[in-house]
Amino acid sequence: MESIIEVKNLKKTYKKRKTREYIHAVSDVSFHVHRGEILGLLGPNGAGKTTTIKMLCGLLIPDSGSIQVNGIDMRKKRLHGLRHISAVLEGNRNLYWRLTVRENLEYFAGNRGFSRKDVAVRIDELLVQFNLKEKENELVNRLSRGMQQKLAIAVAMLAESEVILLDEPTLGLDVETGYEVREILKNIVRDENRTIIISSHDMDVVQDLCGRTVIINEGKIITDDKVENLLKLFEVRSYTITLGGLLTEEQQQLMHQKFPHVVYTPDTVQSTLEIDLAKSEDIYDLFNVLKLNHIPVESFDRSTVNFEQIFMKILKGGETHGSLAQSS
Amino acid sequence: MVRWLNLLKANTRKEYIELKRYLPNTLAMLFTFYFIFLGMFLGIQVIGDPGSQDINTQHVIVNYIFWFLAFMIINSIGWEVINEAMRGTLEQLNMSPMGIWRIMTSRLIATTLLYAVMIVFLLYLSMFTTGQWLNIDIVSIIPVLILTLISMFGMGFIIAGISIVLKQVQAFLQILQFILAALTFVPLSLSPLLAYLPFVKGVDLVRDIMINGVTLTQIPAGDFLILGFNAIFYLLLGLGIFFYCERVAMSKGLMAHY
Repeated sequence: MESIIEVKNLKKTYKKRKTREYIHAVSDVSFHVHRGEILGLLGPNGAGKTTTIKMLCGLLIPDSGSIQVNGIDMRKKRLHGLRHISAVLEGNRNLYWRLTVRENLEYFAGNRGFSRKDVAVRIDELLVQFNLKEKENELVNRLSRGMQQKLAIAVAMLAESEVILLDEPTLGLDVETGYEVREILKNIVRDENRTIIISSHDMDVVQDLCGRTVIINEGKIITDDKVENLLKLFEVRSYTITLGGLLTEEQQQLMHQKFPHVVYTPDTVQSTLEIDLAKSEDIYDLFNVLKLNHIPVESFDRSTVNFEQIFMKILKGGETHGSLAQSS
Repeated sequence: MVRWLNLLKANTRKEYIELKRYLPNTLAMLFTFYFIFLGMFLGIQVIGDPGSQDINTQHVIVNYIFWFLAFMIINSIGWEVINEAMRGTLEQLNMSPMGIWRIMTSRLIATTLLYAVMIVFLLYLSMFTTGQWLNIDIVSIIPVLILTLISMFGMGFIIAGISIVLKQVQAFLQILQFILAALTFVPLSLSPLLAYLPFVKGVDLVRDIMINGVTLTQIPAGDFLILGFNAIFYLLLGLGIFFYCERVAMSKGLMAHY
């Protein structure tokens, strides 16, 4: 599959004004994005996502490393590269609130060098696609947050760029509008073969939309894998064991010693052990430990995990990244 | 070139729409201008030397109109950068493949065109109020004005650049209007070196045309050379500072910060 974005050894360091201390916002980040895919760029607050996104769209100059967008070096030919990329970084704040819906679209198109005539038909199409046709002459400050968000995405779409970067595209939207935005984004990728990079804290959105995720923590990539693979992998490795009574102190200690990620919930009738195995083969060790220590097992079930749980597990256990990458 | 033109059209339209949408604001600005002018005119009438009242009034009209023009062009670009950063649209502008400097250039031209209409109206209103009809020799004024405006654009770029990096420059912009007033009101006869400050020479020549009836052919070539030098020097200086500030903002991640 052809890569439309190639990021290699990206580094960005900030200097704190007061303490003069250096903060490594992004350290040696490398990844690629295929044409026509939706990539989730995830991480906790302060992980380096926004810094990475801003370097991708040419708003921030990296200290070192390279970014190629559609084969164009963003560090050398930034303006040329910007023809291939557009972004919604601050949602509805990216719009002019005293202009109407259509005026906003026309103005941003004009800022990319297009005349109103050039984009008239395309604007009509987008207004229909984003369900904004009836509001085209409405001032932006009179629209609902959801409509403003849709307009911001429509503005990015109008740029006709191959890559669209979206920072929190569904933040603050109600369920219905959030769903609508997700469907629009899916259609954009399916029908127009565009590439979308999404940064979001909403793991349902990520699970629903993204084919692949890059998870960043403390400025480094800790996972780069398909969502499908991560779901399978964690499903295979996560188990719930129902016990016919309580574990002794000794048994509890032993379980924690052998399986550090075990969660024991004691109950006089039915206690449970929730366990994540570092490797699928560890299941044999688990059986041995249970058997040799006479731990009474009533049932043994594979746990259902959603992407939010996976994300949290990856963040908590950074050391599992290697095995994840290899397994995929 | 077509893309440039489309960019200019888009920004002129936006500026015009916003002036219309903020109509009370625009009208308040025009009234403020006119009332301050009336204050100065009455001052000349009441406490001025009766022997030089006419010439003083003519000077005030030309200087005040020019100050308003300089103030609108140079100061407004600084305010625009601040407002764009506060709105959250500055980063969007900086993501245009046309480059933010081209967008700022179109904004400067658009602002100049729109305010020129208001200024012509205010000029005639001032002349009507005072009964002092100046020599509006378009053929002589336009070339001088264009060269003078280019040096103003250079100043505009310096202010835009500083605003991109520092953002909270409101206090500086307040002071700047007095600096601009000093540059427009100061007579060139004080020191010939003042001619090398931005737009001082231009205002002096426009005064000569509008008050003393000097024509284009009567303006010495040396004066045009100074005007041309100032236009190129301040425009290049302004662009250089703007590009430097843009780079600083992009290195330190200041583009969206306010």
